[in-house]
Amino acid sequence: MNNSVIIKGNKYGIIVVLSPEVPFEELKLLIAEKFKESSKFFENAKMAISFEGRKLTNEEQREILDVISENADMHIVCIMDNDTEMQEKFHKTLDQKLMDLSNNTGQFYKGILRSGASLEFETSVIIIGDVNHGARVVSKGNIIVLGALKGTAFAGATGNTNAFVVALDMSPTQIRIADTIARAPDKPVKDDLKETKIAFLEDGNIYIETLNKNILQDINL
Amino acid sequence: MGEVIVVTSGKGGVGKTTTTANVGTGLAMLDKKVVLIDTDIGLRNLDVVMGLENRIVYNLVDVIEGSCRIRNALIKDKRYPNLYLLPSAQTRDKNAVTPEQMQKLADELRDEFDYILMDCPAGIEQGFKNAIAGADRALVVTTPEVSAVRDADRIIGLLEANEMKQTHLIVNRIRMDMVKRGDMMSSDDVCEILAVDLIGIVPDDENIVISTNQGEPLVGSDSLAGKAYMNICKRVIGEEVPFLNLEEKQGIFGKLFGKRKKN
Repeated sequence: MNNSVIIKGNKYGIIVVLSPEVPFEELKLLIAEKFKESSKFFENAKMAISFEGRKLTNEEQREILDVISENADMHIVCIMDNDTEMQEKFHKTLDQKLMDLSNNTGQFYKGILRSGASLEFETSVIIIGDVNHGARVVSKGNIIVLGALKGTAFAGATGNTNAFVVALDMSPTQIRIADTIARAPDKPVKDDLKETKIAFLEDGNIYIETLNKNILQDINL
Repeated sequence: MGEVIVVTSGKGGVGKTTTTANVGTGLAMLDKKVVLIDTDIGLRNLDVVMGLENRIVYNLVDVIEGSCRIRNALIKDKRYPNLYLLPSAQTRDKNAVTPEQMQKLADELRDEFDYILMDCPAGIEQGFKNAIAGADRALVVTTPEVSAVRDADRIIGLLEANEMKQTHLIVNRIRMDMVKRGDMMSSDDVCEILAVDLIGIVPDDENIVISTNQGEPLVGSDSLAGKAYMNICKRVIGEEVPFLNLEEKQGIFGKLFGKRKKN
């Protein structure tokens, strides 16, 4: 096993670790080989790349990028510097963007989620239908149920404490927002009036309140 | 060293889960440390009958797959601090677990608990094999119906083939008025067919439906079924208790005068 070229990945992109000892021409061949092996995996992917382990001139970087695009069907969007400060900035922007993406974009799902169903979304989600007992909806953003929420809803699954859950009929088994779990009272509350309610996180507690203008104004996306 | 008891039946709807909930709660009332394990992966019910559904965070499959510790998945009962529930997973199926893994889990719980009760799913497939894997003792539940008795017979055969050390029978939902008219098998009839020792007879009682819906087992209550379940618990821990006289009517007169003949 030749370890002169190692491809590592994280959520920000891929890192190519290059051995400083191998001559550059040989290294190019190794890179070509490596990316060819994993071309299936990278198929059509768009990502950022960074290099580690070896000082590269701009010329060399360009040559390597050429080699990669020849051998794998992927698009390198940008090259990340190894400068820590820059990297931190980049990560922060990307995290913020991802968070915004999960909050501000959403998708619709139509259908009744019956017991045993478990749906997970990268973005916010609007369910047109009921979420029955024993069903589960997980979203990185917000969850809106246009129907009855009787099962479990998990909003802000990656830790967004601003996430909220709205349901026309709010009688969940459990609601989780970020790291906080709230469960239904043991004695069912008799509530003849079915009102649209919102569940949100405040000071480490999950509150459920009737949806009205004031509360709508307080929502931060 | 704790004892592992599996509650099984073969046929569905005869009262396995209700029996597990009531016997488990009853044993806890008798100051035993008890854990109930729902092995019906994909169709969990025991948490609902115990009224603990809203507390579930981790489940049996999480424990088996090592994504959490047993301690994190055990749910403490609302009423009895020495009673715990290990709920099943709803979004998985029976093949997520193997009999070997169940046996290992049961053995780990033995040190800490006096009784480990397994609620077995209906059927004789993977779920059944999982549930009986670590068990020392089986409680076979049947109703006095031909179909249920047939399935119970099959189950007892399978338990014997798997070298179950002890097998006892619970006849559930018996109606004495129908037995008297000759429209229903009596518990003696059932025992004769199945040839295993009877450990309890539970009458058909509408209070069971009420308690199941409310998520509070009725064992130990004044209802006939509540008493019957308590007697089963006492027999499980080895006490000699005579069988209830189920013929006494809990009719309007019984309630009015409040004195019923004790057997």
